[in-house]
Amino acid sequence: MNLLSIIWAEVRKSHRHNFNNHLVYFSLFVWPAILFINAYYAFKPFNLQAGSPLARFVPFDKLGLFLITGYLAYIFFWSLVQSAWQMAYERQQGTLELLLLTPVPRIWLMFGRAAANLIEAVWLFSAFSLLIILFMGGVHVAEWWLVPVAIVLLVLSAVIWGGFLNIIFLFSRDAGVLYTLFEAPMEFFSGVRMPVLAFPIWAKSIAFLFPLTYVLTILRGVVMEGKTFRDLSGSLILLLGVLTVLVIASLFLVRVAERHAKETGNLTLF
Amino acid sequence: MLEARHLKKYYTVKEKTGWFSREKQLIRAVDEIDLSIDKGEIVGLLGVNGAGKTTTIKMLSTLLTPTSGTITVDGTNVVEQPNRIKQQVNMIAGGERMLYWRLTARENLMYFGKLYGLHGQTLTERCRQLIRLVGLDEAADHPVERYSKGMKQRLQIARGLINDPDYLFLDEPTLGLDAPVARQLRKTVKDLAKVRNKGILLTSHYLEEVQELCDRVYIIEKGHLLLHGTPERIIQTVVNIFHLQAVVSGQSSDSIWLKQELEKRNVQVSVKDSDEGKLLHMTASFDMTASFIALVAKQGLILKKLEATKPNLEDAIIKLAEESHAS
Ligand SMILES: Nc1ncnc2c1ncn2[C@@H]1O[C@H](COP(=O)(O)OP(=O)(O)OP(=O)(O)O)[C@@H](O)[C@H]1O
Ligand SMILES: [Mg+2]
Repeated sequence: MNLLSIIWAEVRKSHRHNFNNHLVYFSLFVWPAILFINAYYAFKPFNLQAGSPLARFVPFDKLGLFLITGYLAYIFFWSLVQSAWQMAYERQQGTLELLLLTPVPRIWLMFGRAAANLIEAVWLFSAFSLLIILFMGGVHVAEWWLVPVAIVLLVLSAVIWGGFLNIIFLFSRDAGVLYTLFEAPMEFFSGVRMPVLAFPIWAKSIAFLFPLTYVLTILRGVVMEGKTFRDLSGSLILLLGVLTVLVIASLFLVRVAERHAKETGNLTLF
Repeated sequence: MLEARHLKKYYTVKEKTGWFSREKQLIRAVDEIDLSIDKGEIVGLLGVNGAGKTTTIKMLSTLLTPTSGTITVDGTNVVEQPNRIKQQVNMIAGGERMLYWRLTARENLMYFGKLYGLHGQTLTERCRQLIRLVGLDEAADHPVERYSKGMKQRLQIARGLINDPDYLFLDEPTLGLDAPVARQLRKTVKDLAKVRNKGILLTSHYLEEVQELCDRVYIIEKGHLLLHGTPERIIQTVVNIFHLQAVVSGQSSDSIWLKQELEKRNVQVSVKDSDEGKLLHMTASFDMTASFIALVAKQGLILKKLEATKPNLEDAIIKLAEESHAS
């Protein structure tokens, strides 16, 4: 058994199951685009010229770029919160129990599923964002090789985040609260719309719990601020640290979740 | 051989007794059950709702950890080496769930096959064979949501065979199916055991089905084993009432004589008049057919009708339930 074949199985399944209707792509694209446009025009009425509080963190002419990179990364993470929600459906349908009947390594299944859903959920908005970025201009890159690195980090972090959420959903039918718990807070605290640096200290400490925060710092540093590898090494280490913690927690929790399910028979309760 | 010894499963549930107070409660779903399944054999697991059948099946299929007791499959311990066992067993439940409805039959099978580590030509070929086996060739590439109940159930069987298991557990496989479809399914199950040499454990509330299919039956109640044996043995030990109805032509005196002779042999008899002659209704704790015919012949009477009703498994189960209520 190999990981790639599990990911491929999940790609095929989720393509047919979750992306079966082409309207899904429409919503995957229109919804974040509206979020972006909404945020952009919400800033407009305010004085954002040099000397304004926001301009200390984001120059006025880079606001569009700031927001589109923010929403791009946000959609990566957010789409996996949604895909984790599918686990609740599988619980009801009884297929979740069948998955645990097979010998597939659980951790592969959880991360493979996140990876499979990610690709399909984000490609359309990614293309849109790329166009916007090219159209708006203002890209300032110091080391071009960092661009693919930043993208790989974005994908990797999102998959680890998604796998972790999938595992949380193994525990309980009530994990749906995560949905509400993560939707608005993640958008706000991770600095999608507002620079984290502008936050008060209590909000900053919440921000640093979300891997999205570090991913955004790195992505914007590379694309907008012309930062070098050396400039970003601090954030990079922090991100890798958070990801390691998430992976270790996932490895641990997936075993606990299965043991718990086998003990209580809770997989059939919904 | 699959063997379970001293199998127990206790659930702890918390009952709400108030806003913040909860009380722990122990449910003894399975309490000391021993059972075995040989390859090529169909074994029935019977019991009323809540007796512990599904719980037992889930323990055998590694979905639940027993509270105590051991399960071994061909000598391998289920709790110690679950992944090895998972390749050897599979479970199928009745009903329409447990499939991806938006996927086709083939896609469902391919997906589950990959989770068992199958791939490439082996997987495609196995899916093709299974689809043929359960007769879904024509619908194989339609989404499952368009299937009838019977088709979904057949797909479930195919899914349960995807890892070519040695032992298969069927939890009410004919639930909600109409008679011809259920019969077809029974034939498939029988072939799986007799032709393909798989060991099968079956639960069902349709007792005729169990009587027809099963080589051996376990009857459980409230997690305990009540009885175990071939269906015939169980019927014999539990129900010892035989019924015989006959119509004989002749004088009233003849039927009175018959009645007396039969009663001497511990047969209860009631006599009624009917259009064709005297209608006798006889009950006894043994099969009295031979003695009755001998008496009729001795007296030179004409036998116009003879009908014997054998007790079936259903009678046995009802009797058992009554007895356990009484005690
Ligand atoms: N996950 C669970 N948590 C707590 N109690 C449970 C759980 N699953 C089953 N039970 C209890 O265990 C007992 C046995 O249930 P089980 O489902 O094994 O019965 P069954 O014989 O399959 O019944 P049926 O014929 O209705 O399917 C019942 O009292 C049931 O309420
Ligand atoms: Mg049951």
